[in-house]
Amino acid sequence: MSKTLLLTKSNLKKNRGTSAGLFLLMTIAACLIGISLLVFFDAYPVAEREAARLNAGDGYLSVTGNVDGITDEKIEEIIEEDTESYYIYRNLAYSNNPIPFGNGEVVITSQFSDSSAFEMPMNTCEVVKEDSSVTEDYIYLPYQFNTAGGFETGDTFEVDLGGTKHSYTVKGFLNVAYGGCNNNALYSFVLDDDSYDELAEEGADENIMIIFDLKDDVTVGAFLISTSTEILTLNPMAVVSGYDLPQVLGSRTFMALIIAVSFLVLTFLIVAAVAMMLANCISNYIKENMKTLGALKAIGYTGGDIKGSLVVWFLIIAAVASAVGIVLAYLLMPVFAGIIVGQMGIPYAVSFNMLATVIPAGFVLIFTLLVTLIASAKVTKILPIVALREGIESHNFRKNHAALSSTPLSLNMGLAVKTFFGNIKQNVITFFVIGLMVFSCVVSLLMYENFSRHPKLELLATEICAGVVTSDVDSKEEIRSYLEDRSDIKNVREIISMNFYYNEEAILYTYVVEDPAKMDNQNVCYKGRLPQYDNEIAISGAFARDYGFEIGDEIEMDYGDNSYTYLVTGYIQTLNNAGREALVTYDGANHIVETEMIPGWFWFDLTDESDDNKVNEEEVERIIDECKDKYDGHILSTMNFFEIMNGSMTTFQSISTMMLVIMCTVSVVVIGLILYLLIKSLIYHKRKDYGIYKALGYTSGSLMLQTALSFMPSVIASVSIFSVVWYYLANPYMSTFMGMFGLVKCTFDIPISGVVMIAIGFAVISFLLALVQTRRIKKIEAYNMLVAE
Amino acid sequence: MQNIIETKKLCKTFSNGGVQQHVLKNIDLEIYEGDFTIIMGASGAGKSTLLYSLSGMDKPTLGSITFAGTEITKKNTDELALFRRDHCGFVFQQVYLVDSMSVLDNLMAAGLLVNKDKKAVAQKAGELLKAVNIDEPLWNKFPTQISGGEAQRVGIARALINNPKMVFADEPTGALNSQTGKAVLDTLTGFNEKGQSIVMVTHDITSARRGNRILYVKDGEIAGECLLGKYVTGDKERHQKLNDFLTTMGW
Repeated sequence: MSKTLLLTKSNLKKNRGTSAGLFLLMTIAACLIGISLLVFFDAYPVAEREAARLNAGDGYLSVTGNVDGITDEKIEEIIEEDTESYYIYRNLAYSNNPIPFGNGEVVITSQFSDSSAFEMPMNTCEVVKEDSSVTEDYIYLPYQFNTAGGFETGDTFEVDLGGTKHSYTVKGFLNVAYGGCNNNALYSFVLDDDSYDELAEEGADENIMIIFDLKDDVTVGAFLISTSTEILTLNPMAVVSGYDLPQVLGSRTFMALIIAVSFLVLTFLIVAAVAMMLANCISNYIKENMKTLGALKAIGYTGGDIKGSLVVWFLIIAAVASAVGIVLAYLLMPVFAGIIVGQMGIPYAVSFNMLATVIPAGFVLIFTLLVTLIASAKVTKILPIVALREGIESHNFRKNHAALSSTPLSLNMGLAVKTFFGNIKQNVITFFVIGLMVFSCVVSLLMYENFSRHPKLELLATEICAGVVTSDVDSKEEIRSYLEDRSDIKNVREIISMNFYYNEEAILYTYVVEDPAKMDNQNVCYKGRLPQYDNEIAISGAFARDYGFEIGDEIEMDYGDNSYTYLVTGYIQTLNNAGREALVTYDGANHIVETEMIPGWFWFDLTDESDDNKVNEEEVERIIDECKDKYDGHILSTMNFFEIMNGSMTTFQSISTMMLVIMCTVSVVVIGLILYLLIKSLIYHKRKDYGIYKALGYTSGSLMLQTALSFMPSVIASVSIFSVVWYYLANPYMSTFMGMFGLVKCTFDIPISGVVMIAIGFAVISFLLALVQTRRIKKIEAYNMLVAE
Repeated sequence: MQNIIETKKLCKTFSNGGVQQHVLKNIDLEIYEGDFTIIMGASGAGKSTLLYSLSGMDKPTLGSITFAGTEITKKNTDELALFRRDHCGFVFQQVYLVDSMSVLDNLMAAGLLVNKDKKAVAQKAGELLKAVNIDEPLWNKFPTQISGGEAQRVGIARALINNPKMVFADEPTGALNSQTGKAVLDTLTGFNEKGQSIVMVTHDITSARRGNRILYVKDGEIAGECLLGKYVTGDKERHQKLNDFLTTMGW
């Protein structure tokens, strides 16, 4: 063992640069794995822990709309048998109301409570941040409004509620289990008592909040369905919505998990690069130290001793790199946590996580051990005498590439091509490493383009449009005709949504669409087709998978006391509602719901849509205002999708921008490190040649240029080939990746100009980095190079 | 006779761990055009250091070197490289051909530094290779595929590709057997007879006999000089004169 340590010490001392390069690569890998796992292991448990602390129970039922006849006593009768504990609380609600958030607004169900909300024994509202100097006309907003929505205490919060504009001062922010995040389709606000009373007087819908903790043998899905059905028997005009706690927590944390998985993918790309470099370093070590190895073997060192020294050498680097990488992960985590908290809207502090600490270290160490053992296997086979004669040929060129007498290339280019062919292994490594880095940047670009630069709302919404006007039942036809007659809008279509129930087990958030062929988002159906007839239904892929449905199967859906059996025609994709969604036609829904009694939801597109969303936003605003002016009192609500787009995508924008910046930075650092290791080894191997060239009269500049240029064929080939390959494979990759979250068929836009910029950027940066790495040629004089041989 | 190289108070000192070693001490020297100058001396006397200093390959610590009318000691490494490509040719004991290039490309890589006309350089390279008795079938071989003697003759051809004012040869026969060594010396002598100036370091009397001027370096100084006149095969008197000189120098 002492022999091995002696050799290890010598290796570490002699190969400081290589050790440092590998150390940095392994540190980056360990750090990224650490961050990914910290997010992965922490996000959901933190949300779960907070929900338990706020006593959120197992779920929450919201009863709103018309709640006449639904008394606390009757509710208690319905739920008492199935629950361990429950709490009934009454407040106010606005369904699908636009709420200012971030750069725009979100259309969401909003619930308003008075100060008694702070006394609730279940689903407690906890104040996270507060300005006690604000004493009147104030509002407490969910914490997400602070972390991602751009609000601070003391700010003015202006909101249109039921057609009346209200202005409140932000007093503080709430940590709340239900209604804390836009992904849950529900926001909970607390007003001062006077403002609350004012809202009640204006005729806001009453909302009954039922928080429940179920008995062990009762499932949340079955409870929500049976209770909803019984409540609807009390009053069929009531609107009942159920929130299952795990589903709520899943919605709050899915973006954090997407980040975690994205980082893990990037980490594996870096790990692949480290593996190639590690194998290359060992191969170089054997080549460079052939005589020494021969001498060591001659004096009695075994192949195992030498291999052991290599293993210990690289394991020491891996161990130190893992430790530093994990510490870095904890140090950098607050930056990531800040962005993740923005999406979750939950107070979060980084804490020690055993698994996230042990796994990166274990992985880096085991991976290093395996690669080292495999790459150093040939050491045992080298005979001492062969090694002493430097038996392994370092130059074995059988073809004179780019013959200088006949090549059309310039002298520098010709010599660069010769260097390229002389270092084909290093160039293959460069080719693949850059290809992997191009992949990570193209995927980041895709996310930035579709989540931030030109947000693609169909990622989050099943249908997209320019605007929506909701009319009361009486004016439905008149308003529809008015909209259809307008020349500035087109494709007026009716779409509503409601909860359908499956077999008292699952709730499906169902889109009832007048004519599915008129939907803008035809990609919503990724397999089969959308329903055309009244006996057809499309269901989400995740639901189909969980409950074993296939296209062509029959499924019985319930609504209240009604039920009907539909034929499954296709699978739809969604990131929302825990992947439990369905889509039927109006005629189809009429089997179990009287759609004529439901207000008219008219979706429309702009006839002349501009490339500038600001212009579109103003145009939709104008149309909505004209509609309101004409049908004052009959318009229940409106939605401007261009405004919603900015609000809904706010949390995704910061995350996708961060991803792009991190991926590009890490890619450049990795390319720099790989080139450093490759060029360092190349210069070492070619030091004699550089001496000869310098003696002949080559300048350092021309030798640096030749060396840097020799990597360019592989760099250019890599960026050219891989930018095209990833351009076409990014969407299939995203489909596989996002499929885990419910988005099965991705049709993201990838800007060709962005991909070209990545390709050119990588080529230029690689050349400049290579040129910088070759500067060591400058420091060595011809005479020293020759005598060094 | 016109001098090509002139040194004044040329000094070279190496430092290692605070210990200084004065390898060249105040050397004043002139090297003349058309001469076959031989530098001899015991191992460690400083003869190779002198050769590489004269050629601009290594930088002296003090003093000046004027080469073809140009003071080269003040040039930086890149300026020296540009100077070498125009004025110097090198023949090394270890040959130092670039292994990854064919024989012809080794010459082309040097020739194209000065003359961008590929055709002209290729023609000149061919002529030189023929002149050093390297037949055409070997031109596309790699240095590792030819013999040591052949490689050294390729090295001589490469040294001459840019019509240098001076060829510097460092023990060119040191790694060769007597027969191949003789062929190399014949080649160098032949070029010298055609007017090529050569400075050669050697510790071999047979090789030294080819020169017309012998400089003996001892402890970093030029200890003596012997003029032999033009080389003539079988000149026993010349041989004796060299032996006597070397004996005087303590060889």
